[in-house]
Amino acid sequence: MEMEQMYTYKCTKCGKLHHPRYIVCQNPDCDGREFEKIPLEGKCRLLTWTRVYNLPEGYMCPWLNFGIVEFENGVRATGQIGFDEGIESGMELIATVGIVKEKTILYKETVVAPQHGFIFQKA
Amino acid sequence: MRSVGIVGIGHTKFGKSEVPFMDMVCDAALQAMDDAGAKTGRNNVIDQVFVGTMGAGMVNRISGTASAVVDTLNIRPAMAETVENGPASGASAIKLGFMAIASGMCDCVLIIGAEGMRAVTGWEGTDFVATMLHPESEYKYGATLPAFAGMFTRLCMDKYGLESKDLSIVSVKNHANACKNPCAHIHSRVVLERITNPAYINATNPIVADPLRQFDMCPVSDGAAAVLLVAEDKKDALGFGDKKFVKIAGMGSATDTHVVANREVPSDLLAVRLSAKMAYEMAGVGPEDIDVAELHDAFQILEIAESEEVGFFKRGEGHLAARNGETALTGKKPVNTSGGLKAKGHPLGATGVSQVVELVRQLRGEAGERQVEGAKTGLAVNFGGFGNNVVSTVLTTK
Repeated sequence: MEMEQMYTYKCTKCGKLHHPRYIVCQNPDCDGREFEKIPLEGKCRLLTWTRVYNLPEGYMCPWLNFGIVEFENGVRATGQIGFDEGIESGMELIATVGIVKEKTILYKETVVAPQHGFIFQKA
Repeated sequence: MRSVGIVGIGHTKFGKSEVPFMDMVCDAALQAMDDAGAKTGRNNVIDQVFVGTMGAGMVNRISGTASAVVDTLNIRPAMAETVENGPASGASAIKLGFMAIASGMCDCVLIIGAEGMRAVTGWEGTDFVATMLHPESEYKYGATLPAFAGMFTRLCMDKYGLESKDLSIVSVKNHANACKNPCAHIHSRVVLERITNPAYINATNPIVADPLRQFDMCPVSDGAAAVLLVAEDKKDALGFGDKKFVKIAGMGSATDTHVVANREVPSDLLAVRLSAKMAYEMAGVGPEDIDVAELHDAFQILEIAESEEVGFFKRGEGHLAARNGETALTGKKPVNTSGGLKAKGHPLGATGVSQVVELVRQLRGEAGERQVEGAKTGLAVNFGGFGNNVVSTVLTTK
């Protein structure tokens, strides 16, 4: 179940929230290296989006929608948008977690290892 | 710091290469050496070779490219390193050559930028380019460079009132310039009405990454370009005394967040602004002194945004300048006279070197039909990742 939860990473020294995971705190006035994992979920606002038709190797679908959102705690994240109709910048969404890639292609090997990530849905 | 300049240039025809990758690389290198009069074998004076390439190892199955070049060209025992900095690999290689000479470690450095992207299928190539995105928060979602360009474009549209037609105007301009460049990938004049008319736009100019359409982004190209750098104080002694010397007056590079979502202002290109500022300061010039520029238009929105970030136009007004023809060949601030990445092509590692080759041609007065009259000072901006690593270069003959 660990893989199916997305997190924000709170610096234990200064409290800055991060997504994704960093090695060193991104606050220019902090040198923290320890982070507390806090579930990142719930309401968010869509800042911008796109629908892409030329997908990379490994995606057997005609298009995918992508968006950048901002959560209520100020953390931003990129993810897939799980619906096609009525997408508009500024709209409120709900962040869910699902399989965003069915398999990972490695050189001369195919490893079936589903990747979990954000799929934004209508609020 | 020693004065460093360019005495030789080489450039293959961009597009689908008909020769193996290493032949293409060496073709550009020999063109630059012949242009300068540099010799091979016992008479070689090249101390160092840098090859900028993003994917020779991954796409062409050739690693250690620079070492192979030195041997193939018979310029051993010159030092050799391959440079990988995404699509900014070419300008990074030039920066390292500049630093090597400026520091006094070398007197003469050969730079080659090259990419053989057409060796793989389109979707393999798309995946290869996307590997420069953040692995956990971007790449794993299937996001690509066109995806981020699409999202960036929408932000600029929302904020500045930019329209889809503005991107097409830039595209038409660059295709027209490419028709005057024998090395360009695409030699087709594009008519604005044909790619913007709502009646058939989805047939002639389909959406690729909404709101971006096919003519809003560059093609996939093979190609190589090369420059020969020399210390001004050794130019005569090394046998380049009668060659036109185009001085590298300033270089700058800067980075931004790897994760695009974490940019302080997501509609800005901070690394472009900072790298150009650094290059201007080193050269002792400002944007008003630039006669001609090559800006990294992998997507047409980038030419517009970069023209603002380097100080040619106010933020949010670059598209208005393009509408008014200010960036056209005969405009006040000609941009991408080569045809840009849009039409000249964008073989990733070659692009940064190709931009500098175009500026050298312009500053030497050798650009033929696309010559900007009286051009003395030029700016090149080579953009890596989705703007997280940018290299800017100012060249001058003043």
